[in-house]
Amino acid sequence: MTLFRQFIVRALVRDSRRSLATVAGLTLGVAVVIAIRLANAGSIRGFETALDVVAGQTSLEIVGAGVGVPDAQLAGLGWLREYGLVSPVIARTARLRGPDGVEHPLQVLGVDVLRDRPFREYQLLEFARGGGEPSAQELLALLLDSSSVVLTERFARRHGLDLESPVELIIGDRVHDSVVRGLLLDEGPARVVDGQLALLDVAVAQLLFDRIGWLDRVEIQLFDAGAIDDAEAAIAARLPEGLRVQRPAQRGRQVEKMLAAFHFNLTALSYIALVVGLFLVYNTVAVSVIARRSEIGILRALGTTRRTLLGLFLGEAALLAGLGVAVGLPTGWLLANGAVRLTATTVNVLYITSAATVPPLGLIDMLLACGVAMPLALAAAAIPAMEGASVAPIAAVRGTDRLESHDDGRRSRRAALAAAAFFAVGGWLATLGPVGGLPFYGLGATLAVIGGAAALVPVLLEVLRRVGRRLLVRWFGVEGMLAHANLSAAVRRLTVSVAALVVSLAMLAAIAIMIGSFRDTVTYWVGQTLRADLFVTTAGRGPAGPSPSISTEAEARVAAHSSVAAIDQFRTVDLTYGPDGDLIILGAARFEVLLEHGGLLFKEPADGRAAVARAIGVDAVIVSEAFALKQDVMVDDTIELDTPQGQRSFQVSAIYYDYSSDRGLVVMDQPTFARHYGNQRPVGLTVYLEPAADPETVREELLAALSPEFRLFINTNATLRAEVIRIFDATFAITYALEAIAIFVAIMGVATTLLTLVLERRDELVMLRLVGAGRTQIRRMVVIEAALLGVLSQGLGLAVGVVLSLILIYVINVQSFGWTIQFSLPVWFLVRSTLLVALATAVAGLYPARVAAGVAGREAR
Amino acid sequence: MTRRVWCIAILLYGAGAMLAAQEPGPVTTSDGWRLAEPGYTLQFPRDHGSHPAYRIEWWYYTGNLAAADGRRFGYQVTFFRIGVDPAPTNPSRWAVRDLHMAHLAVTDVSAEQHLTAERFDRGGVGWAGAREGTLDVWNGDWRVALDDQTHRVQAFDDRFGVDLRLEPGKPPTAHGDAGLSRKGAEFGNASHYYSMTRMPTTGQLRLDGDLVDVTGTSWMDHEFGTTFLEPGQVGWDWFSLQLDDGTDLMIYKLRRSTGQPDPFSSGTWVADDGAATPLPGDQVMLVPGRVWTSPSSDASYPVAWQLRVPSRQADLRVEALLDAQELDTANSTGVTYWEGAVTVSGRIGERDVTGRGYLEMTGYAGRPMSEVFR
Repeated sequence: MTLFRQFIVRALVRDSRRSLATVAGLTLGVAVVIAIRLANAGSIRGFETALDVVAGQTSLEIVGAGVGVPDAQLAGLGWLREYGLVSPVIARTARLRGPDGVEHPLQVLGVDVLRDRPFREYQLLEFARGGGEPSAQELLALLLDSSSVVLTERFARRHGLDLESPVELIIGDRVHDSVVRGLLLDEGPARVVDGQLALLDVAVAQLLFDRIGWLDRVEIQLFDAGAIDDAEAAIAARLPEGLRVQRPAQRGRQVEKMLAAFHFNLTALSYIALVVGLFLVYNTVAVSVIARRSEIGILRALGTTRRTLLGLFLGEAALLAGLGVAVGLPTGWLLANGAVRLTATTVNVLYITSAATVPPLGLIDMLLACGVAMPLALAAAAIPAMEGASVAPIAAVRGTDRLESHDDGRRSRRAALAAAAFFAVGGWLATLGPVGGLPFYGLGATLAVIGGAAALVPVLLEVLRRVGRRLLVRWFGVEGMLAHANLSAAVRRLTVSVAALVVSLAMLAAIAIMIGSFRDTVTYWVGQTLRADLFVTTAGRGPAGPSPSISTEAEARVAAHSSVAAIDQFRTVDLTYGPDGDLIILGAARFEVLLEHGGLLFKEPADGRAAVARAIGVDAVIVSEAFALKQDVMVDDTIELDTPQGQRSFQVSAIYYDYSSDRGLVVMDQPTFARHYGNQRPVGLTVYLEPAADPETVREELLAALSPEFRLFINTNATLRAEVIRIFDATFAITYALEAIAIFVAIMGVATTLLTLVLERRDELVMLRLVGAGRTQIRRMVVIEAALLGVLSQGLGLAVGVVLSLILIYVINVQSFGWTIQFSLPVWFLVRSTLLVALATAVAGLYPARVAAGVAGREAR
Repeated sequence: MTRRVWCIAILLYGAGAMLAAQEPGPVTTSDGWRLAEPGYTLQFPRDHGSHPAYRIEWWYYTGNLAAADGRRFGYQVTFFRIGVDPAPTNPSRWAVRDLHMAHLAVTDVSAEQHLTAERFDRGGVGWAGAREGTLDVWNGDWRVALDDQTHRVQAFDDRFGVDLRLEPGKPPTAHGDAGLSRKGAEFGNASHYYSMTRMPTTGQLRLDGDLVDVTGTSWMDHEFGTTFLEPGQVGWDWFSLQLDDGTDLMIYKLRRSTGQPDPFSSGTWVADDGAATPLPGDQVMLVPGRVWTSPSSDASYPVAWQLRVPSRQADLRVEALLDAQELDTANSTGVTYWEGAVTVSGRIGERDVTGRGYLEMTGYAGRPMSEVFR
């Protein structure tokens, strides 16, 4: 223990800057892993907790095909009471505007309180003083008026609302003047989504949400909750066509599945940051071993055993990793909060609206951080530590063990063979299909390619050693020659940190290429498909529920504008599809209008327009590429869709490109949709204007004509395109952020490696000064070494990055999201990043360069 | 017949029943409910059905039953319809025009058990309701309906229930003035009220999974109106008695906060042949006897009564078959009351008589009924 204090702790304290850098690197690694876990958990946690608490005592629920459960059908389901208590539910989202004029999203629960009380506890503030809950009648009396809304105490307090406060409830395109008639205590369902819950009577909810005649689901609380399997089977057997019984958790699983690919990819990215962080740990430990090589020799000469020495260095690694974990955990939590803000945008825009909150750090995070960081840090430390302990004492003291034996080419041949093997495995893995909708093998392929890239590093360094000298001399003179000599002498030492940098840079290049290609593809797609002049929508989607609809009156006002040439309505409902109950989107549009004005891009068949023309009015659909890929559907296949009348068959007429949702879209002609799903109000309008009309002017005029009764969002073609690209960029902001961290960590790794080399070459540097080298020359030499490593890494990184991007685009992306991305090289970005990397590594070399100049100067005197 | 009004009262916040201007045709309150007025003629089976123009309506079945082995039982099945909004503007099927409540109770005398259950629902998609024109009232799978002339009463909780067939027995008895029963001084504070006072009954009881064949006699009340109670009326005691000489007796006494009997208390004497004679409140003397205190509500109920009708030389002793026949509806209405099977003995003139019946006592627990009415 004394030895540990003197030998390790003192060294760490003495070299506090390097120790800090190490802990910082490790902290970053741990923090990124924890942050991604928390962020992933946070973005769906909002939905899951909402589900849990809102579901209350519900054991089973009846849901309909897309459009919900028709009241009329429910009348025949009186037999459900044989199994338990039955409660009708409308669950939607709305926005609420208080007296301060600020709008807040709300989950709205429309229930029949007479039936619902056994399901959920409603504790109202004004009844709490008298003790207990309000009676069913008291609650009903509060809710029956269609202007009544019950909010949560937490929400009200936060926004300065109280009983009898007037508020505006914004649902779809309508603004309703309401009054706060009750405040739910912060318990039970009121805790949902941070208190953003409003309680309505089911009849009022049907009216306000334009859902007269429909329920979103019917909940059942079984008399015998233990017999849930039997009850589920029995109810399923008795339900009429078009209705389905499921457990509330099913909804959560659907959402989870929907987000799984997104989160999987995010998590995979985060682990690259960790791997790079571990390279850094390796370097740090190596530096500490090398820097004290002579001390090791003395200790060994004094009789310290190898085991003790190994123990000392493992202890150091554990100490550093422990510090990294301790600081990394809270840092990760802070990072997660930032990340959730970024990912929440993506999740909201692409998937669901939910109040994402980062969960507090739990035991699992500590276990994860320790379980990942500790063993890997110890393993990374063990190798150089064993090397340090195995040094013969006399050699260590004299420093004669340092010089590497020159490679006879065998090692680099072995490395080249290993690289070839890695690439072959990677190529094979890339041909395998997804597992459970997740690209496990695709990810394996990227790992193999990364392994291959790492194996190529010694080959590259060997090539540099053999052929680089002349060029360096020509470009940088004597400093170039010296830099070449130094690097050539340290090929083995450099391999690890250069490999780390290569991997990070390759990932960055790959992701940049993929995102660039994707962005180009989407831009093209948007340009081709967004043909209408104006797009009219309402605000906000519900959690995995249909969008709010546009009322007849509002549509009439839009249609009445003199510049409007044609209007198409778009309807969507969420539908479960296939044996796994995947949540897909069923849309309806008028195919005739689509043919005349629209511009879908068809994947198959070649003449997509003719195929759409054939699908008019018949039981045929066109499906998005994502749907076709995920559900393994081809043109002319027949698919079975749930309708309120039961399952119906539809022929697939065409497959079209779509990048708006990876859930998969199925679109049918409006009359076909109406025939199967009834008259649903549209969720969006696409408006085509007279040729002479100015879209921006018409937009302003329409908004004026709709106000103040209706609240609709109108995008012009130009603003919608910009919006699509904005959403796209927001989606990938976090990807870039992650990669930036990885590269920062990698460059720090290069800097510490150079520091190692500098410390190792102490005697040579002194000798250089003695033979007349200036401090500037020595500094220049080290900076050239650094920049050289940066350029080499970037060169190999770019090459590997292109390979990785191909895997990302054609394997991982297709398996996760089902999108075709046209490959395109973002040349400018790559050129810029190359220059940046060279500059950054040169800058990172400044510190070791100063140390080198200092060492040489001090000792030469 | 003002009893049971309390069940509804909670829903009538500030009911204030303002009378609309007197116009030809039915008189309605400002919110559109029709008031009970003289001149309405009861017709059957039409008036067994629902009268949705009126705010409040109930169908009340009570009876004394016995099994072949001599075990005795009492039962009560009640359906209420309480109007909330005669013409909701919301077209949703879930919009609340009426609320539907139902109470079920079975007294197992030998087991000294009193089992109760309740239902409370909006009409919604037809899960509760009442038809017009004939007897068909339901709440979930609890139902009373006409099968030719027979009243079929079915109500099962998960532990117990009844499935009974009630024959008409005597013709319907219209109470008060040709079926108009005045409750207060103000115009319209009244109800249309008739009873089927002696209905031969057969059927089955279920008690914890055991089905028991029973026979006996039931009493049915049907009453509808819009406004009833007036301030100061704290509760009431109501008797429905079936004597072995063929006489049936309905008595109710409103209790005022002053402790005085309310002048609008009254009753009806139904002779063996079905001939009904109104009994004004001042012709009936009720003297409470032994008191039972409920362990759960701490309310003290007189479970034995001395009842005298001097004009008929009747002197009857009414006694509960089981003391503990209290219903606690705190989970829905928040009102606790006593309703149970009773036995009757005494003299009418020189004759000894015995009989069975039901007794209801309200306003003994919790808030006075006048406050419940607000």
